[in-house]
Formats: sequence, structure tokens, C-alpha cells
Amino acid sequence: MTIWWLVLILAALGSAGLAFIWLAVHVTNAGDKGTDAGDPLEDAADKDVEHIFNNEFREELRNRGRLHFEKIIGENAMFLQQDLRLTTSQLNEYMKTEITNKLKEEFAKYEESIMDAKQLAIESIQKTNTAIDEQRQIMGQQLQKQLLEEKQRILTHFETNTADIINHYVLAAIGNQIDLSDQLEYILGELEANKQAIIEDIQHGA
Amino acid sequence: MAPEPLKLPVSVTSPTDLNRLLRELTTIDEQLLQLRVRQPGTEVKLPKTSQLLDQTVILNGLNLLQPADRLRLGQILRAVQQRAPVLHLSFSADPSPEFMAKLITWLRQHIHPFAMVTTGLQFNIGAGCIARTTNRSFDFSLSQNFARNRQLLVDRLTPPAPAAAPPEVTTP
Repeated sequence: MTIWWLVLILAALGSAGLAFIWLAVHVTNAGDKGTDAGDPLEDAADKDVEHIFNNEFREELRNRGRLHFEKIIGENAMFLQQDLRLTTSQLNEYMKTEITNKLKEEFAKYEESIMDAKQLAIESIQKTNTAIDEQRQIMGQQLQKQLLEEKQRILTHFETNTADIINHYVLAAIGNQIDLSDQLEYILGELEANKQAIIEDIQHGA
Repeated sequence: MAPEPLKLPVSVTSPTDLNRLLRELTTIDEQLLQLRVRQPGTEVKLPKTSQLLDQTVILNGLNLLQPADRLRLGQILRAVQQRAPVLHLSFSADPSPEFMAKLITWLRQHIHPFAMVTTGLQFNIGAGCIARTTNRSFDFSLSQNFARNRQLLVDRLTPPAPAAAPPEVTTP
């Protein structure tokens, strides 16, 4: 949009310059055509005019016109230069503003995109956390259940075999340390308890 | 008058001892028989008796120089050998003679007057013994005792179940 404005301004300045040039040429041609009339008065006037506006005067006028035109051209060039500088500064300001606005818009979009991505990431993390919590809870329950089962199994195994283990250990540990003389009372007690059965087996045995 | 029944010393514990007594008695009988046909003037070597036979003879008041006593002792020993009940007892260690004497004394007082015992070793019984008669086996070992009282041990090892909480009493 700024390029088009610049082109338009340059075209306007060019048109104004061309208009000045055409006007100067037209005025010069009009002065040349007026000398061709056939009236004596007019001829006299023309002569006077010729006398007054002789070639030197015309040359003087041309020079003045040329100088005036150069002055106008210079002034216009200065105005054009000022205008061009002003336009350039405005254009710079405009470009700066536009670029700033554009950058702001882009940054806003970028920030919005980042916020959206952040929000998506947060939602995803929250979902993941929720899934992890659920999974952890399920795993915790399963682990607790397995622990209870294992504990129960070990307890059952312990209760089933502990007595045998202790008996075996006691027999292995102290079995050979007990003197037979100390066992006599126990052995006689057991024999006394089974005396009748032993006697019956002896009497009725083969 | 009926002859007194034979008394066996407690040192005679097993059929092996009986066999030893019989062999010894036979040897003495043969030696005394040989002495009877000896040449006059030859050196006489009296047979020696073991402590087992001495105890048996003294306990029963016999005189081995008398053929009748030797014959009677031999007959009775053979009868005992054939009829005496034999118990096989397994221990965790070799029993001492004193232990066997006390055990044989009890057995002959309460089970049978001529009860004989053979012993064996079973190291895994810990303590006590395993008695085996003709047809039956009696396990008096400590391991068997533990097995019998296994539930008692389990009950002591198992923590008691928590008692039910008493009902709450609400005061108005």
C-alpha cells in the first residue's frame, strides 16, 4: 500500500512538471503567432511592439522567463524535495507503525498459538497425570491384593510347616545331647502306658 | 517239691547272651567230661567261667560241678531261648549297661520274667525309643511325641484371634 502511495505522489509531481513545460512552450508560440496580422495600425503597433519587444528584449524576457522558470523549478524542486522528505519520513513512520502493528499482530498470534499449545500441553499432561494416577491406584490395589495373598500363603505355609521345622530343628539340635539315662523315666513311662498292648502281643503273637 | 524257676540276671539281656551261656555251658560240660577220663597224674586245667555264667549260677544256687545242675541249667536255658519274648528296642545312641539293666529289670517285672531285648540305633528319633514286638511297633520317640502334639505347638505359635469388641453401652 505504501509503494502505491509513493508511485502516486511521484506521478503527481511529474504531471505538475510537464504542465509547467507545456505552458511555457504554449505562451512562447502564442507570442510568435500574433506578429502575423495585416492591419497597418496593427503593423505600426507591431512595429512599435517590434521596436519595444525587439529581439534583445525578447531575449531578455526569455532569459527572465528562463530564470523565473528555473526559479520556479528550483522552488518546486525544493518543495518537492521537502515534500519528498516529509513523505519519506511519513512513509518511514507509516512503515514503522505498520511494521510495529504487524509485528504486534504476529506476536499476538504467536502468543496465542503458544498459549493454545501450552493449554493443549497442560490438558495433555493433566490427562496423563489422571491416567497415571488411575493406573497407580489400580496397581496399588493389585499389589496390595497380591501382598495379602502372598502373606496369607506364607502364613499358611508357615503354620503348616513350622511345627515340622521346629521339631526337626529340636531333634537335630538336642536329640543327641540327651543322655539315655535321662530318658529312662520317659521310656519306662511310655512302656508302662503301653504295657497291656505289649503283653497281649507277646502272649498272642506268633 | 517242684524245682524253683530259673532266675536270669539282668546282665543277660539278649538271645545272644543266652546263646553265649549255652555255648559256655556246653564247653564246661565237655571239659568236665574229659577230666573224668584223664590219665592219672596229668595236669588238671579247670574250665573258666564268664561273669555272665557266674551270675546266673550264683543267682540260681547251682553248682556246675554237679552234672544234674548243669543238665538242668542247659534245659532251662534252651527252653528260655525258645520261648522268651524278644523286644527290639531302637535308641538314638548306644545304651549303657546300667541303662539296660534298669530297663531289663522293669521289663521282667512288668512284661515277662524272661523278656529279652535286642537293641538297634536310629539317629533320627532324637530321644526315646522305638519298641518292636512280634507283631507290633510302638514309637516312643521324641519325634513321634512332637508329631502327636503338633497342633499344640501350632496353637502356641499362632497369635490368638482378636476378641470381638464389646457392644457399646449408650447412656441416656
